[in-house]
Amino acid sequence: MRKGLIAASLGLLAAAVVVTSALARTEASATPAQLAACTNVSLGFLGPLTGPAAFLGQEQISWLRFGAQKYNKANKTRFKVLAGDTQLKAPVARTVARRLVSNRGVMAVIGGSESQAVRVSGNLFEKAGLASISGSATAIDLTKGRPYTSFFRVVPNDGIQGPDIFNYVAGQLGAKNVVVIDSQDDYSVPLANAVARGLRGKNVTVARESVSADDTDFSSIVANVGNSVNVVVFATQVAAAANTLSNQLREQGKKALVFGTDGAYSPSQFKPRNGYVSVFAPDLHFDKQARGIVREYNRYSKNKSFGSFGPATYMAGWVAMTNITKACQDGTATRAEVTRLTRTTNIPSIIGGNVRFDRKGDLRGGGAFTIYKITNGAYSPVN
Amino acid sequence: MDWDKVVQLLVSGLTLGSVYALVALGFSMVYGILKLLNLAHGDVLMVGAFIGWGVISWLGGAQDPNVAVWLLIVLMLLAAMVGCGFLGVAIERFAYRPLRRAPRIAPLISALGVSFFLQNSVLLLFGANFRSYDTFDLVDVEVGISLGPLNVWIIRIVVIGSAFAMMAGLWLLVTRSKLGKAMRATAFDREAAAMMGIDVDKVIVKTFFIGSALAGAAGVLVGLVFGSINHFMGFSYGLKGFTAAVVGGIGSIPGAMFGGLFIGLSEALSVGYIEDFTRGRLGSAFSDLVVFLILIVFMLVRPQGIFGKPEVKKV
Repeated sequence: MRKGLIAASLGLLAAAVVVTSALARTEASATPAQLAACTNVSLGFLGPLTGPAAFLGQEQISWLRFGAQKYNKANKTRFKVLAGDTQLKAPVARTVARRLVSNRGVMAVIGGSESQAVRVSGNLFEKAGLASISGSATAIDLTKGRPYTSFFRVVPNDGIQGPDIFNYVAGQLGAKNVVVIDSQDDYSVPLANAVARGLRGKNVTVARESVSADDTDFSSIVANVGNSVNVVVFATQVAAAANTLSNQLREQGKKALVFGTDGAYSPSQFKPRNGYVSVFAPDLHFDKQARGIVREYNRYSKNKSFGSFGPATYMAGWVAMTNITKACQDGTATRAEVTRLTRTTNIPSIIGGNVRFDRKGDLRGGGAFTIYKITNGAYSPVN
Repeated sequence: MDWDKVVQLLVSGLTLGSVYALVALGFSMVYGILKLLNLAHGDVLMVGAFIGWGVISWLGGAQDPNVAVWLLIVLMLLAAMVGCGFLGVAIERFAYRPLRRAPRIAPLISALGVSFFLQNSVLLLFGANFRSYDTFDLVDVEVGISLGPLNVWIIRIVVIGSAFAMMAGLWLLVTRSKLGKAMRATAFDREAAAMMGIDVDKVIVKTFFIGSALAGAAGVLVGLVFGSINHFMGFSYGLKGFTAAVVGGIGSIPGAMFGGLFIGLSEALSVGYIEDFTRGRLGSAFSDLVVFLILIVFMLVRPQGIFGKPEVKKV
């Protein structure tokens, strides 16, 4: 009996030693959350999957998923995409951002797609140490003064778009009388103001107008457009609205053509008889070197149409996956580590050049916007 | 005076106004008979717009419709009117009739509930994506009237024309038919009408059917002329239609027609001239301010509206 008790005690002691040492080893190498980070990793997506700008978000998430599949195949990883729909509404974006932050499997966020989504989610991601990499938020103040230290973007900002537009409108198009319209949101008002200011600086007569982002009728605004107006610059995130504006100008016999900003880039929705649109990334359909990836994407998406929003978001995803993989090389990773590595990113981009970030989180060197001429709905690059 | 601008603003205002008038008619008819503000009325318009979109999609889409354009428009209007008419009847049966003897706040809250129910049902069924009628592909915008400063797209003419035809039809129905007489009697004194042998419940059901059918038609007209629709569009049109009904004199059918046109024209003209009148202090973004300022002024100065009569209560 006594021998039995001693044997049992020794057995328990041995078991306790084994369990304790095993636990101690786990503690020393990684927390359960850290371990999970490298085995069950998601990229959160924050963008408008429904609502007036759904065309943009749907294209982005499709390219992001395509990128994840391609990356997983090449690197034997298991990245997943967790969709978060902002509906193009800032309060919804903040709620979705909270959900992404609270999901420990999310190691980086791709987005917000729209500037107002970044504005309401930036500090949440920053506090959580979570890198957010946008493929389309272009407002200047998102990086000016570095308000959100974990925010990055793989596209140039409106500090470049504004001058690109007013230089082209005043220079190449030789416009003397221009109407500039904003759509009363954080993206369009500063951009429209910058374009109007730049045009006035070039001695162009400028009238400012404003419409709501939900408006579907612009005929009263169009009535304000005089016959001497050459160009209407429309800063909008709703490509269908730019299309309606262009048609209502024609309806009223106005000669002015519509110049849409990057939010209007959609060959399927903005198809004026004559018009222009600027966009932060070149459309890969016009790039001979991108034929391979366009073919691959067409096969993946079963020939879903796309413009410039998808490829830029693909790159944002690629940056995130590359850095998470690097962070996971020792079997563990934290969000802060991924954010730190993102700052030193240097990888070739499918939309031209290399993705490298400056101290503010913008592309090093600034990048460039591409301007497209639209004739009878067909797009062609002009710069 | 820039006459090109004036003419185009008038056309634009007339288009908006005729849509608001159709919505205001529904508000006015229901209020006239039940003294109920049917706050879900704007959402019935939205459902009508989606029914119209369903028809155009089912018939091959705007780029390549399977039927002639005129027939397509007629079918869209008919489907939306019938669908929304029955929707209105269902709303009355399940959301308002059980509360007919309840305090007036109860059906008002029920109406709000119906509004959210309709919005969310459409959101669930169709998603939050904007749906496009693609009318610009259906009929080119340069097809229409072009006379000096006046340029009007044929679809806009169809929209204004059909709205006026429907208003005229309703006017004839109310003033010349037996049903119209019963509706007027019920609106005047429900109990007395019942004592005279009028089936008040039937009259109320028919009123809801007609008012909702007009809202359904307005939804299709909005989709046709402006191109895109969404699940929350009913709120804005409902609010403007309600304003039109109040300005015209809620309960009055000519008042609703006049109020709709008045609000539509005010909105369009304020977009055109607000900047000039305020010397650049306010821009076109503030056109809604003008519309709701009109509402406030009417509530203060003439609460019964232009065509309404002041309510006299026996003591």
